[in-house]
Amino acid sequence: MNDNNSAIKVNNLVKYFGRKQILKGLGFNVPLNTIAGFLGPNGAGKTTTLRMLLGLIPGVNGEIVLLNHSMPGGRSKALEEIGAVVENPAFIESLTAYDNLYWFGSLYKPLTRERILEVIEMVGLKEATMQRFGTFSTGMKQRLGVAFGILHRPRLLILDEPTSGMDPAGRVHMREILTRIHREENTSIFLSSHLLDEIQRLCNYVVIIDSGKTVREGYVADLLSGHQEKWEIRVADEDAARAREMVAAMHDAVTEVSSGPRGLVLTMVSGQSNFVNSELVKAGIRVNALIPLEASLEETFIKLTGNGEGSGGRQ
Amino acid sequence: MRRMLFLILFELKKILNRKKALLFLLALNVVPLVASLALIVAYVKFKGFGFGEVQFSVLYEVVQGLFTAHFKLFAFIAPFFLALVVGDSFSTELSRGYMKMLLLTPVRRWQVITAKTMAIMLFLLLAVCLGGFFLQADLFVARSLSQNSGILPGVIETEITRPLYLVSTSAAMQLLALTFLANLMLIGFFTVFALFFESAILMSFTSLSVLMGVHTFYLVATTLLNKIDIWYEQAATWCFTRHLDELFSISNIDNMLGGRANLFSEGIFGAWVAASGWAVFFFAIAVLLFSRRQILH
Repeated sequence: MNDNNSAIKVNNLVKYFGRKQILKGLGFNVPLNTIAGFLGPNGAGKTTTLRMLLGLIPGVNGEIVLLNHSMPGGRSKALEEIGAVVENPAFIESLTAYDNLYWFGSLYKPLTRERILEVIEMVGLKEATMQRFGTFSTGMKQRLGVAFGILHRPRLLILDEPTSGMDPAGRVHMREILTRIHREENTSIFLSSHLLDEIQRLCNYVVIIDSGKTVREGYVADLLSGHQEKWEIRVADEDAARAREMVAAMHDAVTEVSSGPRGLVLTMVSGQSNFVNSELVKAGIRVNALIPLEASLEETFIKLTGNGEGSGGRQ
Repeated sequence: MRRMLFLILFELKKILNRKKALLFLLALNVVPLVASLALIVAYVKFKGFGFGEVQFSVLYEVVQGLFTAHFKLFAFIAPFFLALVVGDSFSTELSRGYMKMLLLTPVRRWQVITAKTMAIMLFLLLAVCLGGFFLQADLFVARSLSQNSGILPGVIETEITRPLYLVSTSAAMQLLALTFLANLMLIGFFTVFALFFESAILMSFTSLSVLMGVHTFYLVATTLLNKIDIWYEQAATWCFTRHLDELFSISNIDNMLGGRANLFSEGIFGAWVAASGWAVFFFAIAVLLFSRRQILH
């Protein structure tokens, strides 16, 4: 990949905490203009990697290039073009949302009142503009963190588990905010998350790491193409036997058929669910429901990282 | 440069925003505050008794004595407050995550240390000036209440024809510079400790214990142990706290207030140069430590 098209380039990154090796030659290359997910089980080294990217952990052993600025030498220049929040945003409790954004955000560049208010509105905190940060809920804190990250119109936004501790509605809202930022502000986004369905819904690029090493990276579409998916198919009782015979014969689309609690469980080649469904309908079988059992990215993730459970060390 | 100035302002805002900062200011100035109120009440009362022209001169003498005492007391207790303020600015911010947020912006680590130091110094200078302002205000109020302020014969006769200020501008500026340089060294010392602790209280207790330990060794080594072995006296020359003793000695402050000494006088110049050298040393250590510190919270 051409360096000019690279938002984040990491090569052979190594990190020890005491005697324990957290990162073992980690490397990945995130293209510009993507929403990239950073996946890994607990203890894989995600947060450590983000901290090293942003210079919070000095003494880089390996190569880090952010927006063509080599770290650590180009840290200040790089951070002028990057917005970031690692773990929970920690603003000053006694200051209002507006004041926190003004004081912290002005360290990037001078800000206008209009820009601060615009960003506050963008993350849905208009009503809480003059509310003290100490009184914010977890979701509001996370959203203010994102607001802080985009105040100076960065080219790259780095977020560590931005939906951590949020309820489902909050997660949906956060996804909408990030999509909007990517679309309207033309900002590349790199975010770590444990929530695979969230990454699949939001990201078009993904980096999967395990035990301090990259196990897979690429565009989500490429990663899933050719991959098998599991679906549950529910048909009328009288059609069940015939449906089972039919799907078992579709060797190009269905690789495995088993019985589920309320229907048939089919393992299909990715993207073939439409075909299977239409063939059954054509044959006069009444298909009541076709339900994806597992998100493909989750399956890929578990396959690549063993059982998805890490060593549980410091991330 | 703009970023640096903004960072200093931000740090000052953070210090003043804490409730304990106001308590610090009050505690550091409680003597001049209460004394100045009591004095003005007494002045008004005695003025009514018709003592003529002497009372203003008496007030002036008392206020000037209080100012000298305030300055000496301040020099003595400032380290205890400084330890807490430095602890709050570094240790507490490390544990609460404010430091992490700062370091996610393009500011450099040495800039963070410099800005915090400057902000703490400004806070300290504000504190030391506040007591002086209270006492100076007494004189202004007293003069405005008195149409024919009198002067004790032979005491401050030269003050008759010019505005009555507590200290000359030159002496005030030099005292502030003295406070600045001496306390810069202390802030550097406390900052080194603050980078190892994430609790302001623990950091304060530890650093103050070391500070008092160093100074006790200096006192014992120069007055007693040097009689046993000259090595102790040589070791005591490395006790940086001795420069504070020299800078804030009663005679030096009296002489500076009285215009008989300045920053370049013998015994003062050497001490503040040495204190500045120690300040540079402590800050170099602090910057080195901070540049290698991992921000994990």
